Amino acid sequence: MKFVRRHTVTAIAGVAAMALMATGCSSSSEQAASADNPVELTVTTFGTFGYDDLYAEYEEANPGVKVKATNIDRGSNARTDAFTKLAAGSGLSDVVAIEEGWLGSIMEVSDQFVDLNEHGAADIKDNWVDWKFKQGTDPDGRVIGYGTDIGPQGLCYNGKLFEAAGMPSDRESVAELFGGGDATWETYFKLGEQYKAATGKAWYDQSGFVWNSMVNQMEEGYYTKDGELNIEGNPEMKDKFEMLAAGTAAGLSANQTQWDWGNGKAFVDGSFATFVCPGWMLGTIKGQLESAGGGTESGWDFADVFPGGASNWGGAFLSVPTTSEHPAEAAKLAAWLTAPEQQVKQSAAANNFPSTLKAQEKLVADATPNVVFNDAPTGVILANRAKGVVAQFKGPDDSVIQENVFGPALKMLDAGTADADKAWSEALTLLNDLVVNN
Amino acid sequence: MTTTLNRPAKPVAAIKPKPTFKQRLNVFDVKASPYLYIAPFFILFALVGLFPLVYTFVVSLFDWHLLKGQGDFVGLQNFTEVLQDRFFWNSLFNTVSIFLLSAIPQLAVALFLAAVLDQNLRAKTFWRMSVLLPYIVTPVAVAMIFTNMFGEQYGLINNVLGNFGLDPVMWKSETLPSHIAIATMVNWRWTGYNALILLAAMQAVPRDLYESAALDGAGALRRFFSITLPSIRPTMVFVVITSTIGGLQIFTEPRLFDPATAGGSQRQFQTTVLYLWEMAFQRQNFGKASTIAWLLFLIIVLFGVINYLISRRIATADAAKPSRSTRRARKRAERTTR
Repeated sequence: MKFVRRHTVTAIAGVAAMALMATGCSSSSEQAASADNPVELTVTTFGTFGYDDLYAEYEEANPGVKVKATNIDRGSNARTDAFTKLAAGSGLSDVVAIEEGWLGSIMEVSDQFVDLNEHGAADIKDNWVDWKFKQGTDPDGRVIGYGTDIGPQGLCYNGKLFEAAGMPSDRESVAELFGGGDATWETYFKLGEQYKAATGKAWYDQSGFVWNSMVNQMEEGYYTKDGELNIEGNPEMKDKFEMLAAGTAAGLSANQTQWDWGNGKAFVDGSFATFVCPGWMLGTIKGQLESAGGGTESGWDFADVFPGGASNWGGAFLSVPTTSEHPAEAAKLAAWLTAPEQQVKQSAAANNFPSTLKAQEKLVADATPNVVFNDAPTGVILANRAKGVVAQFKGPDDSVIQENVFGPALKMLDAGTADADKAWSEALTLLNDLVVNN
Repeated sequence: MTTTLNRPAKPVAAIKPKPTFKQRLNVFDVKASPYLYIAPFFILFALVGLFPLVYTFVVSLFDWHLLKGQGDFVGLQNFTEVLQDRFFWNSLFNTVSIFLLSAIPQLAVALFLAAVLDQNLRAKTFWRMSVLLPYIVTPVAVAMIFTNMFGEQYGLINNVLGNFGLDPVMWKSETLPSHIAIATMVNWRWTGYNALILLAAMQAVPRDLYESAALDGAGALRRFFSITLPSIRPTMVFVVITSTIGGLQIFTEPRLFDPATAGGSQRQFQTTVLYLWEMAFQRQNFGKASTIAWLLFLIIVLFGVINYLISRRIATADAAKPSRSTRRARKRAERTTR
């Protein structure tokens, strides 16, 4: 008799457990986190995100929520991490930061991410600059990512080095020197040659970032709007490549290693005088200067000008994968982190530029001087640089083309082992091998 | 508990009595238990060894996208394409080159170290432990420190060279220097470990052999080449095989030597495993990545067979069978590497 009873109890417990599991999985009936129902949310970001203080603030405002954060050193490693976990079907955090460069790949499997419309995305949609919100929406109208920052590009330059080369060094004169609103890449390279002649030093750190800026600036980049590859037989792209190759051949590239820069030493030893700076890059430079022991005296400044006009490089999104056990809580956290007030704080911590209108306005109104960049009002400058930015369609292999196709070709230019024609044909060969016939 | 003695007498039957449940259990126990005892290993092996091997082969027969999953069945097309892929052969060349650059100096130095440690030193344990020290450092830390040292513009080594007025070595953009740099990391990590295994074998060589050789007038060098080396040959073969397998699977060191690329901007030091990684996680072609994995497996098997044949020849050429203690030392060594 006892035996039987125990069986019944087990069966009831089993059914109850299954019911609990079933309710736990469906987002609609997910119980909100509270002190009695503690929830741990995992978040994965990369690079310089500036969220650490915000996590603490959120935990305080929402008792029961514990944020467990992971930050990956750079975007490409975050991509590998996210792809691996997507392929494995488990292991993704509740909130995952996605970079614009590999958003195209993610869009191909957008059904693996929670449609944020189910969690009130429509109500806050007007927060963002419209193209940023559209980027995070898949072709079926599902919103899979809230924008964090955007990457309008300004020109970082080293005032001290400019002065030593007999060039103007204050922000306004520098912007004018490069052509102000009509700044072109031709002027940029011409000034580079002058600088090289005066000092014998390089103008930019390496060709890769200049190339990224050039491509991001085009109306259509590696892909056309319809998603067709747009490299071979694209005269505009080839012209830009040849211009860059000529500059590099003239010794304007310092042939530095991307994301390494000798642990930041290249930023303090005068290896190069200009640097293409999307908003988030300001945070990167700050980190590099810190690791090299350089401070404000290293001379870096930020000018309200960019060769070739408005350009946007990068920017990120926060997404909630469907594997999350607490999609509602995760979506709430993602919405909070990307809300204007928090974007202002993020911008202060990470030096990046917010993607919501109100936060941008606040940055302009505050005009906080940035001590790392010779007290430049970076927020105001970036807001100016964001004017006229158009979102470019990013295809599924955009980041592969940037890193594995053009990366090697540009490195050949930097190392001086190939001329423009050879490097361009190397890029096309790689494109065929790695993307077309992959 | 009742025993058969206390049981009431069984009814005598003309036919053979049906075995009781307990008897059948006993028979089952005797026949099946041994298999059950060894089952954990085989179950684990099937789960984490055999199944992935077979599954990888299945994946290699398909167009398989990392994120989008299984596509069309393509048969052996992935194999023919990978075998015609210049990057695959480049990666194989790099792997073998780095392997040779690491294995040969490593064995030579390990032998020398073992011979030194085999002498009557003061504070023996201290010296033996210290050669093992690099082995317990995680390879990631090793790679990061060495990568810094081998930096082209800011690295320690090129700085020192510059102080002597020498040209910097392009450690990361030229093929041979990059292979030497990576081989250095591997050697730093594995030399001491191999030295200890060889030392264990050397310790087992009967001392009276040395004594009689010395009495016959053989010098230290002669004793080393004519007594030590032949006696530790089986262990040498073991060390060669394990370092071959390890060398062909090298990944961490070249991966971290230039974290921004998958083995150098022009694939100067892209090993086969690194190419596999690029194929799977950057180019997102899981089918071809599985194909590379299988080809690498076959290559390692091939190397293993060659090693085996050579070691058999050595064993038969070796007139004196290895002593029991040598074999024991080898077994001990095998166990530690597993």
